[in-house]
Amino acid sequence: METIPTNEEPKTPAERLAYSVQEAADMLGINYYTMYRLIQRQKLKTCRVLRGKLLVPRTELLQLLQTELR
Amino acid sequence: MNYYERPTALQEQAFTEARQHFAEHLKQFNADCEAVHNLERNLAQTATDAFKAALQSSGRVIQTDGGAEWQHGVELMKNISLCHRHTAAGLQFAVVESLPLKSGEITEVLNSGHDVREVLQAFARDQRQVFKVWKDDVTAQVREHLAEKYPHQDMSIVAESFEIKLARAISQRPALAQNHSRGVRI
Repeated sequence: METIPTNEEPKTPAERLAYSVQEAADMLGINYYTMYRLIQRQKLKTCRVLRGKLLVPRTELLQLLQTELR
Repeated sequence: MNYYERPTALQEQAFTEARQHFAEHLKQFNADCEAVHNLERNLAQTATDAFKAALQSSGRVIQTDGGAEWQHGVELMKNISLCHRHTAAGLQFAVVESLPLKSGEITEVLNSGHDVREVLQAFARDQRQVFKVWKDDVTAQVREHLAEKYPHQDMSIVAESFEIKLARAISQRPALAQNHSRGVRI
């Protein structure tokens, strides 16, 4: 069956502004515990959304990689 | 909702479903809590082992991102070691974490000092704070999941049950008697 082409491409995860802790952990290749350790040490700044869930801004992930691996 | 009210069948079902959905989180949370509790229980022995390692001056050299060199002493957890080095002020200990990121490894001192027991205690204290951040986030994720899956239903009792379960894992308090506790069987 043919699919109907759409003009709007689905957004890839790389285009998002922020990620859940689990998604961020997957992207960095580390486990949850390490992620929460980074958050607690404020190596990664997070924001809280509805119901208090943590989100890690994409800029924070990029900054961590740039500053730590420089 | 009455504090002592029993959960409804739907709330029981939601709890079971959410427990499956967050199974990996809960498993990791409990395992990591247990690792820190073990560290606290065996603190004296770990301190002795670290001293022995320092006296032997054996162990691979770990260079942190700041350029400092430490000798590996005792493995505390995965990617976290208790290290030592000799300084003009005497023997110094540090908890060092090596983060194996996909793009490369970063190595950092989490805390350090001359009293190995204090260094270990400070590390364990910090980990309890980490678990609190983790607990609050998982509880928030559970609330979000329940709100999406069961819109317009009061599932606060289910989310609270998760929160209690996680808090109990952090404090390692024995479970309350079931007939006195609010919420779903956990």
